Amino acid sequence: MISDTILNVVDLHKKYGDSIALDGVSFRVRKGETKVIIGPNGSGKTTLLKCLNLLVKPDKGRIWLGNIEITDPRININKIRRKIGFVFQDFNLFHHLTVLNNVMIGLVKVRKLKKHQAYKKAVDALSTVGLDNTLYHKYPAQLSGGQKQRVAIARALAMDPVIMLYDEPTSSLDPQFVNEVLQVIRKLAKNGVTSIIVTHQIDFALEIADEIIVMHKGRIIESGRPTELLSNPQNILTKKILIRNFRTLR
Amino acid sequence: MNYISLIEYLPYIFEGLLWSLALVLGGLGIGFTIGLPIGTMITYSDKYTKFILNVYIWIFRSTPLIVLLFLFYWGVFPNIGLKLSPLITSIIVLGLRSGAYQSEIFRGALESIDEGQILAAYSLGMSKIQAIISITIPQALRISIPSLSNEYAILLKDSAICFTIGVLEVLTRARIVSIATGIALIPYLIAGIILMMMTYIGLKFFHTVYKKTVIPGLIEGI
Repeated sequence: MISDTILNVVDLHKKYGDSIALDGVSFRVRKGETKVIIGPNGSGKTTLLKCLNLLVKPDKGRIWLGNIEITDPRININKIRRKIGFVFQDFNLFHHLTVLNNVMIGLVKVRKLKKHQAYKKAVDALSTVGLDNTLYHKYPAQLSGGQKQRVAIARALAMDPVIMLYDEPTSSLDPQFVNEVLQVIRKLAKNGVTSIIVTHQIDFALEIADEIIVMHKGRIIESGRPTELLSNPQNILTKKILIRNFRTLR
Repeated sequence: MNYISLIEYLPYIFEGLLWSLALVLGGLGIGFTIGLPIGTMITYSDKYTKFILNVYIWIFRSTPLIVLLFLFYWGVFPNIGLKLSPLITSIIVLGLRSGAYQSEIFRGALESIDEGQILAAYSLGMSKIQAIISITIPQALRISIPSLSNEYAILLKDSAICFTIGVLEVLTRARIVSIATGIALIPYLIAGIILMMMTYIGLKFFHTVYKKTVIPGLIEGI
Protein backbone atom coordinates (compact mmCIF):
# COMPACT_ATOMS: atom_id res chain seq x y z
CA MET A 1 0.00 0.00 0.00
CA ILE A 2 1.23 3.48 -0.79
CA SER A 3 2.28 5.11 2.48
CA ASP A 4 0.23 8.27 2.12
CA THR A 5 -2.95 6.38 1.28
CA ILE A 6 -5.66 7.24 3.80
CA LEU A 7 -8.48 5.21 2.36
CA ASN A 8 -8.22 2.07 0.30
CA VAL A 9 -11.37 0.56 -1.16
CA VAL A 10 -11.15 -2.85 -2.78
CA ASP A 11 -13.85 -4.55 -4.84
CA LEU A 12 -16.96 -3.29 -3.04
CA HIS A 13 -20.25 -4.95 -3.87
CA LYS A 14 -23.71 -4.07 -2.61
CA LYS A 15 -27.17 -5.23 -3.64
CA TYR A 16 -30.60 -4.04 -2.51
CA GLY A 17 -32.76 -7.07 -3.25
CA ASP A 18 -32.14 -7.79 -6.92
CA SER A 19 -30.93 -4.30 -7.66
CA ILE A 20 -27.15 -3.90 -7.88
CA ALA A 21 -25.96 -0.70 -6.22
CA LEU A 22 -22.21 -1.36 -6.23
CA ASP A 23 -20.53 -3.78 -8.57
CA GLY A 24 -16.85 -4.10 -7.77
CA VAL A 25 -15.75 -0.59 -6.85
CA SER A 26 -12.10 -0.01 -5.99
CA PHE A 27 -10.11 3.19 -5.47
CA ARG A 28 -7.61 4.85 -3.16
CA VAL A 29 -7.59 8.25 -1.53
CA ARG A 30 -4.29 9.90 -0.61
CA LYS A 31 -3.78 12.27 2.32
CA GLY A 32 -4.93 15.78 1.44
CA GLU A 33 -6.58 14.65 -1.77
CA THR A 34 -10.03 15.77 -2.90
CA LYS A 35 -11.92 13.14 -4.80
CA VAL A 36 -15.21 13.95 -6.43
CA ILE A 37 -17.70 11.28 -7.42
CA ILE A 38 -20.15 12.12 -10.17
CA GLY A 39 -22.68 10.13 -12.12
CA PRO A 40 -26.35 9.90 -12.94
CA ASN A 41 -28.98 9.31 -10.24
CA GLY A 42 -29.02 5.68 -9.12
CA SER A 43 -25.43 5.07 -10.14
CA GLY A 44 -24.43 4.05 -6.59
CA LYS A 45 -22.64 7.23 -5.46
CA THR A 46 -24.46 7.64 -2.16
CA THR A 47 -24.36 3.91 -1.41
CA LEU A 48 -20.62 3.98 -1.99
CA LEU A 49 -20.16 6.91 0.37
CA LYS A 50 -22.32 5.31 3.06
CA CYS A 51 -20.34 2.08 2.72
CA LEU A 52 -17.17 4.00 3.54
CA ASN A 53 -18.23 4.47 7.17
CA LEU A 54 -20.42 1.38 7.17
CA LEU A 55 -23.70 3.26 7.47
CA VAL A 56 -24.49 0.83 4.70
CA LYS A 57 -22.81 -2.56 5.05
CA PRO A 58 -21.24 -3.79 1.82
CA ASP A 59 -22.03 -7.37 0.79
CA LYS A 60 -18.47 -7.98 -0.33
CA GLY A 61 -15.19 -6.10 -0.53
CA ARG A 62 -12.73 -4.54 1.87
CA ILE A 63 -12.06 -1.01 3.09
CA TRP A 64 -8.94 0.20 4.91
CA LEU A 65 -8.76 3.47 6.79
CA GLY A 66 -5.03 4.00 7.18
CA ASN A 67 -3.84 0.54 8.16
CA ILE A 68 -7.09 -0.52 9.87
CA GLU A 69 -9.44 -2.71 7.92
CA ILE A 70 -12.84 -1.31 8.82
CA THR A 71 -14.71 -4.13 7.09
CA ASP A 72 -13.17 -6.57 9.55
CA PRO A 73 -16.17 -7.79 11.58
CA ARG A 74 -14.12 -7.69 14.80
CA ILE A 75 -13.61 -3.94 14.53
CA ASN A 76 -15.60 -1.53 16.73
CA ILE A 77 -17.13 0.58 14.00
CA ASN A 78 -18.14 3.39 16.40
CA LYS A 79 -14.45 4.06 17.05
CA ILE A 80 -13.82 4.24 13.30
CA ARG A 81 -16.80 6.41 12.45
CA ARG A 82 -15.64 9.21 14.73
CA LYS A 83 -12.58 9.53 12.46
CA ILE A 84 -14.72 9.84 9.33
CA GLY A 85 -16.66 13.09 8.98
CA PHE A 86 -19.94 12.60 7.14
CA VAL A 87 -22.05 15.44 5.74
CA PHE A 88 -25.55 14.45 4.66
CA GLN A 89 -27.62 15.80 1.81
CA ASP A 90 -30.49 16.62 4.22
CA PHE A 91 -28.22 18.03 6.95
CA ASN A 92 -29.63 15.66 9.60
CA LEU A 93 -29.02 18.11 12.41
CA PHE A 94 -30.41 17.20 15.80
CA HIS A 95 -33.61 19.25 16.03
CA HIS A 96 -33.70 19.50 19.81
CA LEU A 97 -30.17 20.86 20.19
CA THR A 98 -28.83 24.35 19.61
CA VAL A 99 -26.20 24.95 16.95
CA LEU A 100 -23.48 24.80 19.59
CA ASN A 101 -24.82 21.62 21.16
CA ASN A 102 -25.18 19.98 17.75
CA VAL A 103 -21.44 20.42 17.33
CA MET A 104 -20.56 19.63 20.95
CA ILE A 105 -22.58 16.45 21.39
CA GLY A 106 -20.18 14.18 19.52
CA LEU A 107 -17.23 15.64 21.39
CA VAL A 108 -18.88 15.14 24.78
CA LYS A 109 -20.66 11.81 24.24
CA VAL A 110 -18.20 10.09 21.90
CA ARG A 111 -14.81 11.67 22.46
CA LYS A 112 -15.60 12.20 26.15
CA LEU A 113 -14.18 15.72 26.21
CA LYS A 114 -15.01 17.97 29.13
CA LYS A 115 -17.67 20.54 28.34
CA HIS A 116 -15.29 23.51 28.25
CA GLN A 117 -12.93 21.63 25.90
CA ALA A 118 -15.84 20.62 23.68
CA TYR A 119 -17.10 24.20 23.69
CA LYS A 120 -13.74 25.50 22.50
CA LYS A 121 -13.50 22.94 19.71
CA ALA A 122 -17.09 23.58 18.67
CA VAL A 123 -16.52 27.33 18.48
CA ASP A 124 -13.35 26.73 16.43
CA ALA A 125 -15.21 24.49 14.00
CA LEU A 126 -18.14 26.90 13.71
CA SER A 127 -15.83 29.80 12.99
CA THR A 128 -14.00 27.69 10.38
CA VAL A 129 -17.29 27.29 8.51
CA GLY A 130 -17.94 31.00 8.93
CA LEU A 131 -21.06 30.78 11.05
CA ASP A 132 -21.92 34.00 12.81
CA ASN A 133 -21.72 33.62 16.60
CA THR A 134 -25.17 35.16 17.01
CA LEU A 135 -26.51 31.88 15.63
CA TYR A 136 -24.76 29.62 18.15
CA HIS A 137 -27.80 29.40 20.43
CA LYS A 138 -30.37 29.07 17.66
CA TYR A 139 -32.06 25.77 16.86
CA PRO A 140 -31.79 24.09 13.44
CA ALA A 141 -35.37 25.00 12.53
CA GLN A 142 -34.45 28.66 12.90
CA LEU A 143 -31.62 28.49 10.33
CA SER A 144 -31.49 28.78 6.55
CA GLY A 145 -30.52 25.75 4.50
CA GLY A 146 -26.99 27.07 3.95
CA GLN A 147 -26.51 27.74 7.65
CA LYS A 148 -27.79 24.27 8.51
CA GLN A 149 -25.33 22.63 6.13
CA ARG A 150 -22.47 24.70 7.51
CA VAL A 151 -23.39 23.56 11.04
CA ALA A 152 -23.45 19.97 9.76
CA ILE A 153 -19.98 20.44 8.31
CA ALA A 154 -18.76 21.97 11.58
CA ARG A 155 -20.26 19.05 13.52
CA ALA A 156 -18.27 16.59 11.44
CA LEU A 157 -15.15 18.75 11.39
CA ALA A 158 -15.06 19.23 15.18
CA MET A 159 -14.39 15.51 15.62
CA ASP A 160 -10.98 15.96 13.91
CA PRO A 161 -11.73 13.44 11.16
CA VAL A 162 -8.99 12.03 8.98
CA ILE A 163 -11.32 12.26 6.01
CA MET A 164 -14.54 14.15 5.21
CA LEU A 165 -17.31 12.55 3.16
CA TYR A 166 -19.90 14.86 1.59
CA ASP A 167 -23.07 13.32 0.20
CA GLU A 168 -24.53 15.82 -2.29
CA PRO A 169 -24.06 18.64 0.21
CA THR A 170 -25.86 21.24 -1.87
CA SER A 171 -28.70 19.20 -3.35
CA SER A 172 -31.24 20.19 -0.69
CA LEU A 173 -30.35 23.85 -0.79
CA ASP A 174 -32.14 26.73 -2.43
CA PRO A 175 -29.92 28.16 -5.18
CA GLN A 176 -29.01 31.28 -3.18
CA PHE A 177 -27.44 29.13 -0.42
CA VAL A 178 -25.36 26.81 -2.62
CA ASN A 179 -22.32 29.08 -2.85
CA GLU A 180 -21.87 29.64 0.87
CA VAL A 181 -21.64 25.86 1.37
CA LEU A 182 -19.37 25.30 -1.62
CA GLN A 183 -17.07 28.03 -0.32
CA VAL A 184 -16.67 26.20 2.98
CA ILE A 185 -15.93 22.88 1.27
CA ARG A 186 -13.49 24.64 -1.08
CA LYS A 187 -11.73 26.28 1.86
CA LEU A 188 -11.39 23.01 3.76
CA ALA A 189 -10.09 21.18 0.69
CA LYS A 190 -7.54 23.92 0.06
CA ASN A 191 -6.44 23.63 3.69
CA GLY A 192 -5.58 20.00 3.05
CA VAL A 193 -8.63 18.27 4.52
CA THR A 194 -8.89 14.93 2.73
CA SER A 195 -12.32 14.81 1.13
CA ILE A 196 -14.62 12.68 -0.95
CA ILE A 197 -17.49 14.64 -2.43
CA VAL A 198 -20.53 13.24 -4.18
CA THR A 199 -22.07 16.03 -6.19
CA HIS A 200 -24.08 17.03 -9.22
CA GLN A 201 -22.32 20.44 -9.29
CA ILE A 202 -20.08 19.60 -12.24
CA ASP A 203 -18.40 23.00 -12.44
CA PHE A 204 -17.53 22.74 -8.76
CA ALA A 205 -16.25 19.18 -9.27
CA LEU A 206 -14.00 20.30 -12.09
CA GLU A 207 -12.68 23.19 -10.07
CA ILE A 208 -11.99 21.44 -6.79
CA ALA A 209 -11.18 17.81 -7.59
CA ASP A 210 -7.73 16.29 -7.64
CA GLU A 211 -9.44 13.34 -9.21
CA ILE A 212 -12.94 12.79 -10.52
CA ILE A 213 -14.58 9.38 -10.40
CA VAL A 214 -17.45 8.80 -12.81
CA MET A 215 -19.93 6.13 -11.73
CA HIS A 216 -22.63 4.36 -13.66
CA LYS A 217 -24.72 1.34 -12.67
CA GLY A 218 -22.61 0.67 -9.59
CA ARG A 219 -19.27 0.71 -11.40
CA ILE A 220 -16.51 3.23 -11.84
CA ILE A 221 -16.59 3.80 -15.57
CA GLU A 222 -13.79 6.35 -15.64
CA SER A 223 -11.57 8.35 -13.35
CA GLY A 224 -8.87 10.92 -13.73
CA ARG A 225 -7.79 14.50 -13.26
CA PRO A 226 -10.43 17.07 -14.27
CA THR A 227 -8.27 18.40 -17.11
CA GLU A 228 -7.68 14.89 -18.48
CA LEU A 229 -11.35 14.01 -18.32
CA LEU A 230 -12.38 17.27 -19.91
CA SER A 231 -9.86 17.12 -22.73
CA ASN A 232 -9.97 13.44 -23.42
CA PRO A 233 -12.94 11.58 -21.93
CA GLN A 234 -12.75 7.86 -22.71
CA ASN A 235 -16.35 7.03 -21.98
CA ILE A 236 -19.33 8.41 -23.84
CA LEU A 237 -21.24 8.93 -20.58
CA THR A 238 -18.37 10.91 -19.09
CA LYS A 239 -18.43 13.04 -22.16
CA LYS A 240 -22.14 13.60 -21.84
CA ILE A 241 -22.09 14.44 -18.13
CA LEU A 242 -18.90 16.43 -18.03
CA ILE A 243 -18.77 18.42 -21.20
CA ARG A 244 -22.45 19.17 -21.53
CA ASN A 245 -22.70 20.43 -17.95
CA PHE A 246 -19.43 22.27 -18.19
CA ARG A 247 -20.47 24.14 -21.31
CA THR A 248 -23.96 24.81 -20.06
CA LEU A 249 -22.61 26.26 -16.88
CA ARG A 250 -20.36 28.54 -18.77
CA MET B 1 -84.05 15.11 50.84
CA ASN B 2 -81.47 16.22 53.37
CA TYR B 3 -79.36 19.08 52.03
CA ILE B 4 -77.92 19.93 55.48
CA SER B 5 -76.33 16.48 55.76
CA LEU B 6 -75.11 16.83 52.18
CA ILE B 7 -73.06 19.86 53.27
CA GLU B 8 -71.69 17.80 56.16
CA TYR B 9 -70.65 15.15 53.67
CA LEU B 10 -68.82 17.58 51.39
CA PRO B 11 -65.39 17.19 53.08
CA TYR B 12 -65.86 13.43 52.73
CA ILE B 13 -66.31 13.80 48.95
CA PHE B 14 -63.36 16.16 48.73
CA GLU B 15 -61.13 13.71 50.59
CA GLY B 16 -61.71 11.39 47.67
CA LEU B 17 -59.74 13.84 45.59
CA LEU B 18 -56.54 12.66 47.28
CA TRP B 19 -57.40 9.06 46.42
CA SER B 20 -58.18 9.99 42.83
CA LEU B 21 -54.91 11.90 42.62
CA ALA B 22 -52.99 8.92 44.00
CA LEU B 23 -54.64 6.65 41.43
CA VAL B 24 -53.95 8.96 38.48
CA LEU B 25 -50.47 10.11 39.36
CA GLY B 26 -49.44 6.62 40.49
CA GLY B 27 -50.93 5.05 37.37
CA LEU B 28 -49.41 7.65 35.09
CA GLY B 29 -46.01 7.35 36.81
CA ILE B 30 -45.89 3.56 36.64
CA GLY B 31 -47.24 3.74 33.09
CA PHE B 32 -44.44 6.12 32.10
CA THR B 33 -41.78 3.95 33.75
CA ILE B 34 -43.05 0.93 31.84
CA GLY B 35 -44.23 2.64 28.66
CA LEU B 36 -41.07 4.51 27.71
CA PRO B 37 -38.69 1.51 27.74
CA ILE B 38 -41.28 -0.74 26.10
CA GLY B 39 -42.09 1.83 23.41
CA THR B 40 -38.35 2.24 22.81
CA MET B 41 -37.72 -1.50 22.64
CA ILE B 42 -40.63 -2.06 20.28
CA THR B 43 -39.26 0.63 17.98
CA TYR B 44 -35.65 -0.50 17.92
CA SER B 45 -35.40 -4.17 18.90
CA ASP B 46 -35.66 -7.45 17.02
CA LYS B 47 -38.92 -9.07 15.99
CA TYR B 48 -38.99 -11.63 18.85
CA THR B 49 -38.76 -8.94 21.55
CA LYS B 50 -41.35 -6.92 19.63
CA PHE B 51 -43.68 -9.91 19.58
CA ILE B 52 -43.46 -10.49 23.35
CA LEU B 53 -44.00 -6.82 24.13
CA ASN B 54 -46.89 -6.58 21.70
CA VAL B 55 -48.58 -9.46 23.54
CA TYR B 56 -48.36 -7.46 26.78
CA ILE B 57 -49.75 -4.37 25.05
CA TRP B 58 -52.54 -6.35 23.41
CA ILE B 59 -53.61 -7.96 26.72
CA PHE B 60 -53.71 -4.71 28.65
CA ARG B 61 -55.35 -2.67 25.92
CA SER B 62 -57.99 -5.20 25.04
CA THR B 63 -59.08 -6.35 28.52
CA PRO B 64 -61.68 -4.18 30.27
CA LEU B 65 -60.28 -2.38 33.31
CA ILE B 66 -62.82 -3.93 35.64
CA VAL B 67 -61.71 -7.42 34.59
CA LEU B 68 -58.07 -6.51 35.15
CA LEU B 69 -58.86 -5.13 38.60
CA PHE B 70 -60.74 -8.30 39.63
CA LEU B 71 -58.08 -10.51 38.08
CA PHE B 72 -55.23 -8.85 39.97
CA TYR B 73 -57.06 -8.17 43.25
CA TRP B 74 -58.58 -11.63 43.67
CA GLY B 75 -56.40 -13.70 41.37
CA VAL B 76 -52.83 -12.72 40.52
CA PHE B 77 -51.66 -10.96 43.68
CA PRO B 78 -53.17 -13.40 46.25
CA ASN B 79 -51.81 -16.32 44.23
CA ILE B 80 -48.26 -15.00 44.39
CA GLY B 81 -48.64 -14.34 48.10
CA LEU B 82 -49.08 -10.56 47.91
CA LYS B 83 -51.68 -8.98 50.16
CA LEU B 84 -52.13 -5.56 48.64
CA SER B 85 -54.71 -2.95 49.56
CA PRO B 86 -57.38 -2.02 46.99
CA LEU B 87 -55.63 1.34 46.45
CA ILE B 88 -52.20 -0.16 45.77
CA THR B 89 -53.69 -2.88 43.56
CA SER B 90 -55.61 -0.24 41.61
CA ILE B 91 -52.52 1.94 41.15
CA ILE B 92 -50.52 -1.04 39.87
CA VAL B 93 -53.28 -2.17 37.50
CA LEU B 94 -53.87 1.36 36.20
CA GLY B 95 -50.09 1.67 35.79
CA LEU B 96 -49.75 -1.58 33.86
CA ARG B 97 -52.66 -0.64 31.63
CA SER B 98 -51.44 2.93 31.14
CA GLY B 99 -47.98 1.50 30.39
CA ALA B 100 -49.46 -0.40 27.46
CA TYR B 101 -51.12 2.75 26.12
CA GLN B 102 -48.10 4.95 26.81
CA SER B 103 -45.75 2.53 25.06
CA GLU B 104 -47.83 3.04 21.93
CA ILE B 105 -47.63 6.81 22.41
CA PHE B 106 -43.84 6.65 22.69
CA ARG B 107 -43.51 4.20 19.82
CA GLY B 108 -45.43 6.56 17.58
CA ALA B 109 -43.33 9.51 18.70
CA LEU B 110 -40.04 7.64 18.20
CA GLU B 111 -41.07 6.46 14.76
CA SER B 112 -41.93 10.02 13.75
CA ILE B 113 -38.30 11.11 14.20
CA ASP B 114 -36.53 10.95 10.87
CA GLU B 115 -33.98 8.18 10.54
CA GLY B 116 -31.43 10.67 9.24
CA GLN B 117 -30.80 11.96 12.75
CA ILE B 118 -29.93 8.45 13.92
CA LEU B 119 -27.61 8.02 10.94
CA ALA B 120 -25.99 11.35 11.83
CA ALA B 121 -25.52 10.15 15.41
CA TYR B 122 -23.92 6.92 14.14
CA SER B 123 -21.71 8.91 11.79
CA LEU B 124 -20.32 10.76 14.83
CA GLY B 125 -19.42 7.42 16.40
CA MET B 126 -22.38 7.09 18.76
CA SER B 127 -23.62 3.63 19.63
CA LYS B 128 -27.26 2.74 19.07
CA ILE B 129 -28.03 3.20 22.77
CA GLN B 130 -26.28 6.59 22.86
CA ALA B 131 -28.21 7.70 19.77
CA ILE B 132 -31.51 6.60 21.28
CA ILE B 133 -30.87 8.20 24.67
CA SER B 134 -29.28 11.44 23.45
CA ILE B 135 -31.09 12.05 20.18
CA THR B 136 -34.41 10.30 19.74
CA ILE B 137 -35.85 9.98 23.26
CA PRO B 138 -35.51 13.68 24.16
CA GLN B 139 -37.41 14.56 20.99
CA ALA B 140 -39.96 11.76 21.40
CA LEU B 141 -40.76 12.93 24.93
CA ARG B 142 -41.58 16.39 23.65
CA ILE B 143 -43.73 15.01 20.86
CA SER B 144 -45.57 12.76 23.34
CA ILE B 145 -46.72 15.49 25.73
CA PRO B 146 -50.10 16.22 24.04
CA SER B 147 -50.90 12.49 23.92
CA LEU B 148 -49.79 12.07 27.52
CA SER B 149 -52.15 14.82 28.58
CA ASN B 150 -54.90 12.86 26.85
CA GLU B 151 -53.83 9.75 28.72
CA TYR B 152 -54.04 11.71 31.99
CA ALA B 153 -57.61 12.82 31.28
CA ILE B 154 -58.69 9.30 30.33
CA LEU B 155 -56.94 7.76 33.33
CA LEU B 156 -58.65 10.20 35.67
CA LYS B 157 -62.08 9.11 34.52
CA ASP B 158 -61.13 5.44 34.32
CA SER B 159 -59.91 5.57 37.90
CA ALA B 160 -63.54 5.78 39.02
CA ILE B 161 -63.91 2.11 38.10
CA CYS B 162 -61.59 1.25 40.99
CA PHE B 163 -64.61 1.64 43.28
CA THR B 164 -65.44 -1.96 42.28
CA ILE B 165 -62.69 -3.26 44.55
CA GLY B 166 -63.38 -0.68 47.25
CA VAL B 167 -61.19 2.31 46.46
CA LEU B 168 -62.81 5.40 47.93
CA GLU B 169 -62.07 7.86 45.15
CA VAL B 170 -64.28 10.88 44.40
CA LEU B 171 -67.02 9.15 42.45
CA THR B 172 -67.34 6.26 44.91
CA ARG B 173 -67.76 8.74 47.73
CA ALA B 174 -70.37 10.65 45.74
CA ARG B 175 -72.29 7.41 45.35
CA ILE B 176 -72.09 6.69 49.09
CA VAL B 177 -73.27 10.22 49.92
CA SER B 178 -76.09 9.93 47.42
CA ILE B 179 -77.34 6.78 49.12
CA ALA B 180 -76.86 8.17 52.65
CA THR B 181 -78.66 11.46 51.95
CA GLY B 182 -81.18 10.30 49.42
CA ILE B 183 -80.07 13.07 47.06
CA ALA B 184 -79.65 11.53 43.64
CA LEU B 185 -77.95 14.05 41.44
CA ILE B 186 -76.07 16.72 43.39
CA PRO B 187 -73.33 14.52 44.96
CA TYR B 188 -72.50 13.26 41.46
CA LEU B 189 -72.46 16.83 40.13
CA ILE B 190 -70.03 17.79 42.87
CA ALA B 191 -67.86 14.80 41.99
CA GLY B 192 -68.11 15.78 38.32
CA ILE B 193 -67.00 19.33 39.07
CA ILE B 194 -64.05 18.04 41.14
CA LEU B 195 -62.98 15.76 38.27
CA MET B 196 -63.41 18.57 35.76
CA MET B 197 -61.19 20.82 37.87
CA MET B 198 -58.60 18.06 38.17
CA THR B 199 -58.71 17.57 34.42
CA TYR B 200 -58.36 21.29 33.81
CA ILE B 201 -55.41 21.70 36.18
CA GLY B 202 -53.72 18.59 34.80
CA LEU B 203 -54.17 19.61 31.18
CA LYS B 204 -52.95 23.12 31.99
CA PHE B 205 -49.84 21.57 33.55
CA PHE B 206 -49.16 19.44 30.47
CA HIS B 207 -49.72 22.40 28.16
CA THR B 208 -47.28 24.51 30.18
CA VAL B 209 -44.66 21.76 30.03
CA TYR B 210 -45.27 21.44 26.29
CA LYS B 211 -44.84 25.16 25.72
CA LYS B 212 -41.67 25.26 27.81
CA THR B 213 -40.07 22.30 26.06
CA VAL B 214 -41.17 22.93 22.48
CA ILE B 215 -38.23 23.14 20.09
CA PRO B 216 -37.90 26.73 18.84
CA GLY B 217 -38.77 27.20 15.21
CA LEU B 218 -40.09 23.68 14.76
CA ILE B 219 -43.78 24.27 15.50
CA GLU B 220 -45.40 27.62 14.86
CA GLY B 221 -48.28 29.14 16.76
CA ILE B 222 -47.80 27.84 20.30
